[in-house]
Amino acid sequence: MSTAVRGRGAQHTLLRFLARRAVTSIILLFGIVLVTFSLTVIVPGDPVRAALGEGASSNPATVAAFREKYGLDQPVWIRFFRYVGNLLHGDLGTSMTTGRPISADLAKAVPATAEIALYAVIVSFAVAVVLGTLAAYRRGKVTDEVIRVVTLVGLSVPTFWMAILTYQLFFMQLHWVSGSGRISPTLTPPPTVTGFYTIDYMLNGDSVGFFDAVGHLALPVLVLSLFTIATLTRFVRTSVLEVLDMDYARAARAKGLSGRRVVVGYVLRGAALPILTLVGIAFGSLLSGTVLVEAVFAWPGLGTYAYNASKNLDLLAVTGVGLIVGVIYLVINLVVDVLYGVLDPRVRLS
Amino acid sequence: MARSYRHAVAALAVVTALTLAGCSGGNSASTSGSSSAGGTVVVDTAFSLETADPGRNYVPTGNMVLHAIYDTLLTFQGTDSTTPQPDLATMEQNADATEFTFTITDGRTFSDGSPVTADDVVFSLQRVAGITDSKANFLMTGITVTKVDDKTVKLTTATPSLQLPAIVTNPSLSILNSKVVKEHGGTTDDSDAAKSWLDANSAGSGPYTLQSLDLTQQVVMVKNDKYDGADKAGYDKVVVRNVSQSSTQLTNLQGGDSNVAVDLSGDQVKSLGSGFTVDSAASAETLFLLINQDKNVGGVTATPAFAEAVRYALDYDKLLELTGSGSVAATGVIPPMFPGANTTGVTQDLAKSKAALAASGYNGEEVKLQFPNDTPVGGVEFTPLAERVQEQLKAAGINVTLAPAPFATEVQPYVKAQEAFSLWFWGPDYADSSSFLPFGPGQKVGLRAGWTADAAPDIAAMVTSATDATSVDARNSAFRDFAQAMQESGPFVPLVVPGINLASSDTVAGLEYNVTWTLDLRSLHAK
Repeated sequence: MSTAVRGRGAQHTLLRFLARRAVTSIILLFGIVLVTFSLTVIVPGDPVRAALGEGASSNPATVAAFREKYGLDQPVWIRFFRYVGNLLHGDLGTSMTTGRPISADLAKAVPATAEIALYAVIVSFAVAVVLGTLAAYRRGKVTDEVIRVVTLVGLSVPTFWMAILTYQLFFMQLHWVSGSGRISPTLTPPPTVTGFYTIDYMLNGDSVGFFDAVGHLALPVLVLSLFTIATLTRFVRTSVLEVLDMDYARAARAKGLSGRRVVVGYVLRGAALPILTLVGIAFGSLLSGTVLVEAVFAWPGLGTYAYNASKNLDLLAVTGVGLIVGVIYLVINLVVDVLYGVLDPRVRLS
Repeated sequence: MARSYRHAVAALAVVTALTLAGCSGGNSASTSGSSSAGGTVVVDTAFSLETADPGRNYVPTGNMVLHAIYDTLLTFQGTDSTTPQPDLATMEQNADATEFTFTITDGRTFSDGSPVTADDVVFSLQRVAGITDSKANFLMTGITVTKVDDKTVKLTTATPSLQLPAIVTNPSLSILNSKVVKEHGGTTDDSDAAKSWLDANSAGSGPYTLQSLDLTQQVVMVKNDKYDGADKAGYDKVVVRNVSQSSTQLTNLQGGDSNVAVDLSGDQVKSLGSGFTVDSAASAETLFLLINQDKNVGGVTATPAFAEAVRYALDYDKLLELTGSGSVAATGVIPPMFPGANTTGVTQDLAKSKAALAASGYNGEEVKLQFPNDTPVGGVEFTPLAERVQEQLKAAGINVTLAPAPFATEVQPYVKAQEAFSLWFWGPDYADSSSFLPFGPGQKVGLRAGWTADAAPDIAAMVTSATDATSVDARNSAFRDFAQAMQESGPFVPLVVPGINLASSDTVAGLEYNVTWTLDLRSLHAK
């Protein structure tokens, strides 16, 4: 079989795979919408009263107009199908709290969280691979014990407490990092391109803004990384230990290859698949689970938005958050699956 | 291959470094939180902010921001919340308190330099009345606005309305530049489409103008160079940031990242050492117990005698220990800063409580105390307060089980009068004692306690007297009678008025709490 034919075959396989995943994803997304929407319907409490407050909800005209504006005067099934119909046009509805399109709110909140989550995953991955591999190679020795204890501490310390502690130490006492929020109050946010302030400032050629944004990112990324590093390190250690016992790893060492080549070329490559899965899950968790860290660092991200939406019974906003988190997980799973194929030819063939 | 990768990475790093080193656009280096004269003041608060459109606003942070940008017909000066003063206009009223004539002060202009006219007043107020789904719409209920001449406007009500002067101080009733707002979609009915423009711009006559609004991060206001009123801007720029955690507000203030913190607890302000200014004051919120008088809801506890037993069983000073600086014991349903409030509250009298309990027919049954557990008011958490109430009532022979729930869940049975015994809070719709008349029998909160006008006709008559009064003296007298009677025999047991604690670095002066706009940004200036 020629290389060109093999290439076309692989391309078709990949396209079929992606098509299958797309269909599955659409079904899953519909399920997510159905479940999230249903939960917002059955949750006790009156969203109109929550949104309008005591004074305005005493005014029947305002209550009626508000219900009509947000479609709350319609039966549930009409609201649901109207919502799904709007979704097909990319319309997530209007927030009852902000009065703005939910897609516009999420377009600001998601990049804010994604920025800390992405940097946290990169830092965590880099540190965890080094520490986990080191711990595996030094199994049972002092280095291994120290790393295991440190990661245990990382797992045990509540993130919220760690956030407050590090903020007081590194900002208030030592002045090593910037204060809360994404940038200093005297600065202007960059023109939005990616929604990542660091990248957008760079694209705008604004060095002051870039370094200020980095200064504000440092602590949230550090705090989120500590927990993720702890989880990943222990997992990398286990995976590397498994590979080290494999015949091909032993053979590589027996052939006299340098330790670095054995680690990079054989051990980590062999351990990459499970690690990749966990990194994907960790990224998803960081995107959807940063509420407390965002609260401490006044970070206007997805967690803060979700919390406020839930507290205010902003039903469509809650559904929008559920949907976006679902999409994020689906995309991450898809990327991980594709990377599986890239890293392991056997996956591609199957 | 590996070498070429390394070269590529190195090249990328060099290009990035050169780009960053060479770029100079966008922001310039500056010190955060500087508060030098004419500089920037940074205020941290937990946002309750939905819009910068006055006609649609009715939340605390919105009031704070809008009060700095827009003028109203009347206003309150400093910390006072009893006597409205002229802002854009002076006021005269008729003897029946049904016609209020406002004359705009000569020379007042909007931020674009155009004069404030009667047309602007009529448009601004009619716009609030016309946007039916606006949260502020109810403020204009029953009020008719008519233009008398270019400088004079008349507000008319069908019944006496001595609360109207207080109502028009509300930032929701700010006066907008009608010409500008109309150009951007403003109307006086539901077709109004000026919100998005007003969320990015301002059309007011206050000492600041809106530079930018981000509902999740910060509001930036800059000095209005055309301002010609009495409250000159103390800073070139005011930044109000959303910092939801009071612990972060405290750290920001101590670390120099902000100049003012709005939501600190009593304990937190105590931890501030020298170099900071603290203003602790009682808020206008009242935390109270509700004892439902409807037998179908309250059962054995649905009696005035049981309410009296609870009232005298509590040690209010001990409850106050939980609430921190600025808090005071509630002296009645009207908080102490408003006219008509009782000067003294109830003191614990266990003998009286036990006698009332015996008379009520209560015989040790378990009583469920319902309360919202996720909505602290003035920094006061409801759970420890409810636990303290439970402990004190147990000592008086009343067995209480705590039943906390999230606010969004708990509020439903509360407003539907389905709670037998609960712990709630109440704040004024506007800075006026009439905001507390809903506690009366047959009124909104009274009915939530199953308390009809027939159950207490004398107190119901006091509510009518206060509502119909046409002179301030007669009205204040009616409020006093009402507050006293409520304290003696109402189905409510007011507990505490939580404090509010504003703190600033010593470089900032003019820290003032106001019931409506919490922190008066207009009064802030550098020392």
